[in-house]
Amino acid sequence: MQKKSKQKILIVDDSEMNRAFLIDMLEKDFDIIEAENGVQAIQIINSGNIPPDLMLLDIVMPEMDGFEVLSAMNEYGIINEIPVIMISAENDSSCIERAYEMGVTDYISRPFNVAVVRRRVMNTLALHAKQKRLMRIITEQVYEKEKNNNMMVNILSHIVEFRNGESGMHCRNIFSITNILLQCLVEKTDKYNLTSKDISLITISSALHDIGKISIPGAILNKPGRLTTEEFEIMKTHTTVGASLLDGLPIYRDDPLVKVARDICRWHHERYDGRGYPDGLKGEEIPISAQIVALADVYDALTSERCYKKAFSHEKAFNMINNGECGQFSPLLLECLADTHTAIIKELQFHSSEEIQEMQLHNLVDELVQLNESNDFMPPIIQIEKELEKAKFFSIQAEELRFDYDCRTSVAVISGWGAELLGISRTTLNLSGKDADILKNESVQDFIARLKDTSPENPELTGNVQFNAKGVQICGKIIAKTMWADNNSSKYIGVIGKLSHPENIPQ
Amino acid sequence: MDLRECYEELEGSFEEVSKRLPREAMIKKFVLKFLSDKSFENLTTSVENHDYSTAFMAAHTLKGVCQNLAFTRLFESSNLITEALRGDNHDESLIAELIERVKTDYKITVDAIEKLSE
Repeated sequence: MQKKSKQKILIVDDSEMNRAFLIDMLEKDFDIIEAENGVQAIQIINSGNIPPDLMLLDIVMPEMDGFEVLSAMNEYGIINEIPVIMISAENDSSCIERAYEMGVTDYISRPFNVAVVRRRVMNTLALHAKQKRLMRIITEQVYEKEKNNNMMVNILSHIVEFRNGESGMHCRNIFSITNILLQCLVEKTDKYNLTSKDISLITISSALHDIGKISIPGAILNKPGRLTTEEFEIMKTHTTVGASLLDGLPIYRDDPLVKVARDICRWHHERYDGRGYPDGLKGEEIPISAQIVALADVYDALTSERCYKKAFSHEKAFNMINNGECGQFSPLLLECLADTHTAIIKELQFHSSEEIQEMQLHNLVDELVQLNESNDFMPPIIQIEKELEKAKFFSIQAEELRFDYDCRTSVAVISGWGAELLGISRTTLNLSGKDADILKNESVQDFIARLKDTSPENPELTGNVQFNAKGVQICGKIIAKTMWADNNSSKYIGVIGKLSHPENIPQ
Repeated sequence: MDLRECYEELEGSFEEVSKRLPREAMIKKFVLKFLSDKSFENLTTSVENHDYSTAFMAAHTLKGVCQNLAFTRLFESSNLITEALRGDNHDESLIAELIERVKTDYKITVDAIEKLSE
């Protein structure tokens, strides 16, 4: 049975004697960290280690006093994360009031009664733990709900694509391009009054732009050659059919997402010069949502292979759009495309489901910041977002192959840099199927065999490997950790790790 | 000399400290620890150097410790000098007078504690 770890209390006081008083009464039940002044306290909080569960803070100190510590904590937004109890011989009521205003949970005046301090520390911790737990539950639920939403939209659009014989990546690509273009657009102008909520709605509903295609006969939809005039007229109805499908929803018809999706369905084949279909809308008569998705749609259609054409290069597609060979777009949107072209190419070549989820989470966080004036339940969400951002930053900077393998699905997710090293364009690998070759190597097999010697108590393993990936010899040191459902499991459920300092050996 | 006698000699309140600190052993431990506390030394040195902001912090700490240990006599003089040192307008003659008082009270306190440890 694992020993329950103690909660951590940070004591900030310049007098060793004062710290000793507090330590003496608290060390039996808590882990204590000491800081001699405000600067040290802030360093400890920002060190990246697990933050303390509670802080006992003196006011009068050299370097940085207690109020300066509080104002720094307010600035970094951590005052809501770590409860602070102020302890001071300053008994002036304005001082006490100021401390409360700056967010301290409690104020204890000297001289204090030992039993009372202990009790107040316990109460503050209990309250805070309860609040934290509630915040986590809400965060998880909001996250889960948002994830399910996106999943449903994705399933729906996948049904359309499936029939269409498209790659399955089309919706995902449109999603990414739409998002990138929108972010760029709102930086350039505020004439469309797009809030981050609008951006998120447009991005999510972009996946639904072609749902009207379910009414188009397969023979027309998948015809390799050129469509006849009659066939093309039928094909064109996918815009109006899609819109009426959504208009005809018995419920949710007036939901903002449905309305945005309806506009996109109906008008994503309009042209800025008024020569598009079905309504021949011109210029800014076309809702910005439909304009953006139209551009994203054309761009992805050009750069992907279809039953009637080969894929064009990104440069070729970019030039064709700019020369007006494939529709007419607002000059401002073309400017956005030019500005973000490199980012779009990178995104399309290199995205995994994790990154999309992360992007959606960004949107979600923005949305919540806007919707919720009270920031009481923001911190944990920001934390998740921050962790993802940090992890992404480090994985790019670290130039290492990181992997996260799930035994139950035989799927491994690797870092973007790792994928590049292995010469593949995906970060999700199916190791029991098409990507099994990567493991077909003596040193890799040896390493895998040794994983069975790990246990929940000793889950880590290192070893040197040398293997061949797409014609390149790679060697390096693997550090891995097996993941276990609980301490009594007999078999691990996953393996995470990294290949550090990998070197390519030219053959 | 026992703890109660020591408190009498340094003009503190044993009743008060016993209410705040649960065990006599704990009181004794901290009373003895007071001998190694540096705030008095910091206070006198910084007053000599006319470094009043450092002196204020030292006086403040000394006052807080005395308060917790119920060293009433030394608390009173260290409290007075803390207030004299607070802020930017310092009455140097008042500070000079008060520091002498603190030195006297500190000596009485330390002498009493040293008898306790014998």
